Amino acid sequence: MSNDNIVQLKNVTFSRGERVIYDDISLDIPRGKVIAIMGPSGIGKTTLLRLIAGQIKPEKGNIDFDGAIINKLNRQQLYAARKKMSMLFQSGALFTEMSVFDNVAFPIREHCSLPEDIIRTMVLMKLNSVGLRGAAELMPTELSGGMARRAALARAIALDPQLVMYDEPFAGQDPISMGVLIRLIRSLNDALGLTSIVVSHDISEVMSIADYAYIMANKKVIGQGTPQQLRNSESPLIHQFMAGESDGPVPFHYPAQSFDAQLAEVFKA
Amino acid sequence: MSNRKVEVLVGAFIAAGIAAFLFLALSVANTGSLSNGETYRLYAKFDNIGGLKVRSPIKVGGVVVGRVAEINLDTQSFMAVVSMDISKDYKDFPETSSISILTAGLLGEQYLGLEPGFMMDGIETLGEGAYIQDTKSALVLEELIGQFLFSQNGDD
Amino acid sequence: MIVDALAKLGRDTISATATTGRAGLVLFNALWAAPDVKKNSPLLIKQLQVVGVQSLAIILVSGLFIGMVLGLQGYTILVGYGAENSLGPMVALSLLRELGPVVTALLFAGRAGSALTAEIGLMKATEQLSSLELMAVDPLRRVIAPRFWAGMISMPLLALLFSSVGIIGGHLVGVEWLGVDSGNFWSVMQAAVDLQDDVMNGVIKSFAFALVVTWIAIFRGYDCIPTSEGISKATTQTVVHSSLAVLGLDFVLTALMFGE
Repeated sequence: MSNDNIVQLKNVTFSRGERVIYDDISLDIPRGKVIAIMGPSGIGKTTLLRLIAGQIKPEKGNIDFDGAIINKLNRQQLYAARKKMSMLFQSGALFTEMSVFDNVAFPIREHCSLPEDIIRTMVLMKLNSVGLRGAAELMPTELSGGMARRAALARAIALDPQLVMYDEPFAGQDPISMGVLIRLIRSLNDALGLTSIVVSHDISEVMSIADYAYIMANKKVIGQGTPQQLRNSESPLIHQFMAGESDGPVPFHYPAQSFDAQLAEVFKA
Repeated sequence: MSNRKVEVLVGAFIAAGIAAFLFLALSVANTGSLSNGETYRLYAKFDNIGGLKVRSPIKVGGVVVGRVAEINLDTQSFMAVVSMDISKDYKDFPETSSISILTAGLLGEQYLGLEPGFMMDGIETLGEGAYIQDTKSALVLEELIGQFLFSQNGDD
Repeated sequence: MIVDALAKLGRDTISATATTGRAGLVLFNALWAAPDVKKNSPLLIKQLQVVGVQSLAIILVSGLFIGMVLGLQGYTILVGYGAENSLGPMVALSLLRELGPVVTALLFAGRAGSALTAEIGLMKATEQLSSLELMAVDPLRRVIAPRFWAGMISMPLLALLFSSVGIIGGHLVGVEWLGVDSGNFWSVMQAAVDLQDDVMNGVIKSFAFALVVTWIAIFRGYDCIPTSEGISKATTQTVVHSSLAVLGLDFVLTALMFGE
């Protein structure tokens, strides 16, 4: 079973303080696919990635990664497991004090003691695959947002991980760099035999490359399926999300007392 | 900034710090041969030590030869016992040496003045743990004034 | 009212205890593992440059001026008692025992401590720390540990330099300008200053201050709320807390070292 699914969440409950983020959710991430995780903002999609990476621990339930239970590993085993995964952060999270080349070389230098010419070859290969070989000597501050994300992607795949997690890769991108990123995620996934988890709320973009998608809302997984299945879904919640309607099962208004009552209070005072 | 330049700057910084320590240790502080050289212990009993303190210097002809290590009260004789660490560089003071508590200037700190006695056959030298017999206590200003007034009265 | 005040006191105590615990854990986890000398020494050298070398200018200039002021003030006071020959020990002892370690620590907190907090806080806000963790590189060992050691090494050296330059400043004013005899200045100073009691105790003090200031600075950065407001608050806290801690600790250490 662990051969089919690289990641499995089993009955995971997680809350931050009083606020419950996930209530008993289960989901499977099959190997070699591009999996989309979608949902309205503020429901903790990033939290899901942090749970998989073992940065935070669930209150209940287990998270399997490649045959190991991530939330039960000790520090050393966890760091060993993390060598098999990587994450692309929203901001790119490039190290600002080193050049693009050194950023990509960083995980290689950190974990393998290879001669400098082999590292150079590896780094140039990775940079070439994201189209930034020419920008190797630039500093991260000299890159545009889209380029920074591509450089961070080159760094994320530097050690040939099995799993790459993308945290809102399309947020704040112009249409051209968005297109580039979409193509890159798909082609890297297929060329390197990765598994990709893409967390996003840009539905049309992510649906164009996903093999399978989960929609999350109200602390639960509210829908799942291939993009085709989801588009044809009857569920009002899924329908609202896919069509981007402002009101529906996910309300426009943050929970509050009724407006009339509140106004009445204001005038009484 | 290149690595090389950073390394040179950091090296210079560390060297400057060590140089500052050496400057403080050698030309500001009193290192003397006493602070870490070998010493031997002598004792002396005084009726009154005045303002003598631990670490007060012991001088022979103005040269510091040691420091006061401890000051205790002998519960038998009720006299102050001063333990002194004297540098091994200065040894073989004769038994007949005398020691007195002196004051540097009118209001200065108090120190011990060691006056080497005469050398003769049959007189031993002061070794580890020896007591100096001939001691002169501190001059206490109030007593001096009292004595002075008393002697004035006596003249009348 | 009273119950509210009690509740607030309880809440503050709990949160202070929790913060102290977290601070201890950060330091422990950063320093626990045996350092990998080959990998870490370039990082340490880089931090020594940032934390130590770049603080040098402010330390040297302040030390010189404080020494000169001590020389001037000391002279005007001592000359009233005809004791201007004691200017040397006055300047040297003030600097070695108190002003060197304390003022260096305060300047260090403002110059290097705040920068450490802001840098680590920004690394947290831009997810660089998280991204290190996900690359299976422990940010505590990679980012925190070298900065901590750089602070521990730099501060005593800076304090020694501060005192040295201050004594030279006192000499400039006292001897060159006001005419205290140079031989007297140095010899009376040497008679009064003791390597163990004065110089070494000052060094011990500055090690203690280095621990406190660097620890507060790196912890505030690591523990900050990763927003621009959180970072600015953490930076302020670093300067305020470490200055207060240094002054309080100074009293305790002085009482222990020179109090008898």
